[in-house]
Amino acid sequence: MKSFIFEYDLGMDMNPLAGSLVFAEDGSITSSANGTELFRFFASEITEAVVHAGVGCGLLFAKAEGKEDRILCRFTMSGIKQAGEFAKIVNFFIANGTAAFPEEEEKRICETCGRPLMAEMNVCVFCYSKLGVMKRALSFAKPYIKQITYSQVLGLVPRITVMLSPLFIRVLVNNHLELQMGTWFDILLICGAMLLTRVIGDGFFIYTSRIFNRATIAITNDLRVEAYAKLQSHSMSLFAKRTPGDLIRRIMDDTSTINEFVTDLGRWVVDMFFNFAIAFIILFYFNWQLTLLVFIPVPIVIFLLRRFWGMMMARFERHWRWGSRCNSILHDIIKGIRTVKAFGNEEKEIKKFSSATHRHAKIGEENEVLWSILFPPIGFFMGLGEFLVLFIGGWMVLNGSWWLFDANMQIGDLVLFTMYLGFIYGPLRWMVHFPRWLANTTTSMVKVFEVLDDESELKPVAKPKNVPIAGTVDFDGVFFGYKSYEPVLKNISVDIKPGEMIGIVGKSGVGKSTLINLTMRLYDPNTGRIRINNTDLRHMDSDHLHENMGVVFQDSFLFAGSFYDNIVYGKPDATFEEVIAASKAANAHDFIVQTSDGYNTHIGEGGQTLSGGERQRLSIARAIIKNPEILILDEATSSLDVETEASIQESLNRITEGRTTIAIAHRLSTLRNADRLIVLSEGGVEEVGTHAELLKKKGMYYNLVMAQRQNSRKQEEEAQP
Amino acid sequence: MSTVDTNLDLGILDIKDVDFYTAEGGFMGVKCKGEDYKHVILRRIMPIEHPLAYISVADHENKEIGILRDVTALSEAQRALVEGELNNRYYSPTVMDVISVQDKLGYVYMEMKLQNKQGRIYDKSCAIKDVSRNIRTLGDKTVLIFDVDGNRYTAQIANLSKQSLKKLDAYLF
Repeated sequence: MKSFIFEYDLGMDMNPLAGSLVFAEDGSITSSANGTELFRFFASEITEAVVHAGVGCGLLFAKAEGKEDRILCRFTMSGIKQAGEFAKIVNFFIANGTAAFPEEEEKRICETCGRPLMAEMNVCVFCYSKLGVMKRALSFAKPYIKQITYSQVLGLVPRITVMLSPLFIRVLVNNHLELQMGTWFDILLICGAMLLTRVIGDGFFIYTSRIFNRATIAITNDLRVEAYAKLQSHSMSLFAKRTPGDLIRRIMDDTSTINEFVTDLGRWVVDMFFNFAIAFIILFYFNWQLTLLVFIPVPIVIFLLRRFWGMMMARFERHWRWGSRCNSILHDIIKGIRTVKAFGNEEKEIKKFSSATHRHAKIGEENEVLWSILFPPIGFFMGLGEFLVLFIGGWMVLNGSWWLFDANMQIGDLVLFTMYLGFIYGPLRWMVHFPRWLANTTTSMVKVFEVLDDESELKPVAKPKNVPIAGTVDFDGVFFGYKSYEPVLKNISVDIKPGEMIGIVGKSGVGKSTLINLTMRLYDPNTGRIRINNTDLRHMDSDHLHENMGVVFQDSFLFAGSFYDNIVYGKPDATFEEVIAASKAANAHDFIVQTSDGYNTHIGEGGQTLSGGERQRLSIARAIIKNPEILILDEATSSLDVETEASIQESLNRITEGRTTIAIAHRLSTLRNADRLIVLSEGGVEEVGTHAELLKKKGMYYNLVMAQRQNSRKQEEEAQP
Repeated sequence: MSTVDTNLDLGILDIKDVDFYTAEGGFMGVKCKGEDYKHVILRRIMPIEHPLAYISVADHENKEIGILRDVTALSEAQRALVEGELNNRYYSPTVMDVISVQDKLGYVYMEMKLQNKQGRIYDKSCAIKDVSRNIRTLGDKTVLIFDVDGNRYTAQIANLSKQSLKKLDAYLF
């Protein structure tokens, strides 16, 4: 027998416990803990299973007709999603008499270590392969491989020329300066050769850098565009679970970090290791004993740096966080400066900000003090190698061989050594920062790849059935919740006929806007289906649906641009006459032509330079320019004063005539002319009927209307002199 | 200068009028002014500052019945019931020890030794996202930690060992 198991983790006494609640196909619900059955009953004995979220924990309880609510189990927040799923299955059984189990969901567990994957993460933070992530990041470089290879091959020229300078100097010192032999022409020849190689090297460097940088910028751009396109294809649930700041950071900042990685890797890291290898070979060739001496302090230095670096990073991170907090305070105060001033709280805000900046400055000061104490000794150890080379090398120049160091050494050789030391120590110093560099880069890469890999909850259809959007809109047993354990809509079943004007009413939070969101397929129902013209919305292209649907929200967002730009947003290929027609139908034309630049007038971001009524008229024009089959009005006139609302209502009445319209309105009087009203209560359909029918019924709608009338009467009386 | 209207009815419950009990189904019920509410929800109005004062008592439809000004003023048996119910609703085990803290891919992975209200001590691993929001210091005494699942943990700075504090230090601000 098929079953669904919810594993809860708290006992009734709130102590940790391993318990399970099993819902079987026959409708039985059994709870067991530690191998003992605690209770068993049938879903038909209850009316609803409900999840209740507490603080840091939750509980699942059963409601039954004429009986007291009964707690079934308690759990920590780690179990709340599963509990919601359990309740949904039980409630479906209660409503329909049959069990519907969700498809076996792939368990979010790391295949390597068995740990559960973090929420919103598709990789295990413990087992992810840094190499794999790097490889994937580098795969974005494939289309530009020719440019990169070309720039890297030509890039060898400046690298080699840089390495030649110490050799020229050695020749100059050993053959001419030390022996005081040769003419000014010999010196000029060597200096000229040095200058020439430098000029050639720099020339090649500029040329190859341009090619290489162009390729890396293109890689970042591709990555950014791909991530942004992926975002656009997602349902609204992604935007609900991730903040705009988080998404913007992933698309802009994290891709920049990847760009820095590719640039650093391709230029500086390759440069450094090429120079290191060449310098090592040359030094080893001239004097292997002295070369090995260079590496003596390296383990000590790396040990010290690694040890202190972790501590310093933690401190710097804390400093960074306090800086970020100062920014947030400042941002908050400046944004709400009107309120601050109106309440006369300037002094209080100054204190709040200065306390944060003071703390920020103090942490910064402490960090600098610590840095100045810790790093001179590290610098000393690093310099020890150079000191040893100079000392022993100097001894060898003066006295010939010494202990194990038996080679003959000239001044030029010693100069060569000290010059190449820089090429050796540079990469070694950098190696200390390498783990941090790698960690930062892979974090950014994983964040970007998460966006790319995130599967949209709105699954694309292989062969979409793009039927005309003109038929009946049919809700069939729709359940939906933004959080699976908190259903907003429960078992909604209703048909909307073509051309019908439907008003959706109910108290705040009953799911009116959610119903509209589902109609627009911004989300898919958890169970049940919505069909238009007998076709499930999930079997259509979202683009096809949206092309035939117009929507006006309460606070419609207008983009920075002209009036014209904002109206054609609804139909990019609209003719200018269509734009005028839409504006006239929306009563927007008159105020547009009165502005200095007419339809070309630029409106600021969000349309903040316009009044509420003007913004709504523009959004109505934008919604109707494509002559949509279905028009959705989500509190389209609620934020307006009565006079403006009346004027907009007049244009809306004209537009909705004969067009399938679904409208939500706070003021019930605006829906009086609707063909039918759907009254929602606690997520379910409470009543359906015309305004007159529902008033006669004296149910919930009647109560809402009466409450609103009483309120208006009270306001009118208060307004009387 | 007058302050807010003090005559406004705050709905403070007279403890003589209330009788809490555990209902058959496991929920807390209350008999108050002749009414019998079989499923009530208790909420702390100021959970941090006043965990046992100003407790909102609401029925199962979240309609407030009244506010309990001071739990400690109740009889011993009534107080035990109310405190028990609050402990059932507010689950925030105390952090006894921070075993390890690892920063990985923008998440902080923490292993802790916890103690719940009933005194049970156990180990727990959790992941914390966006640490600047989910590790919060209240004054200089308390740290609230929220994990990715929505669980919460409370640490009293004074009770943490030096080693635990050192591990947490980078995230406290």
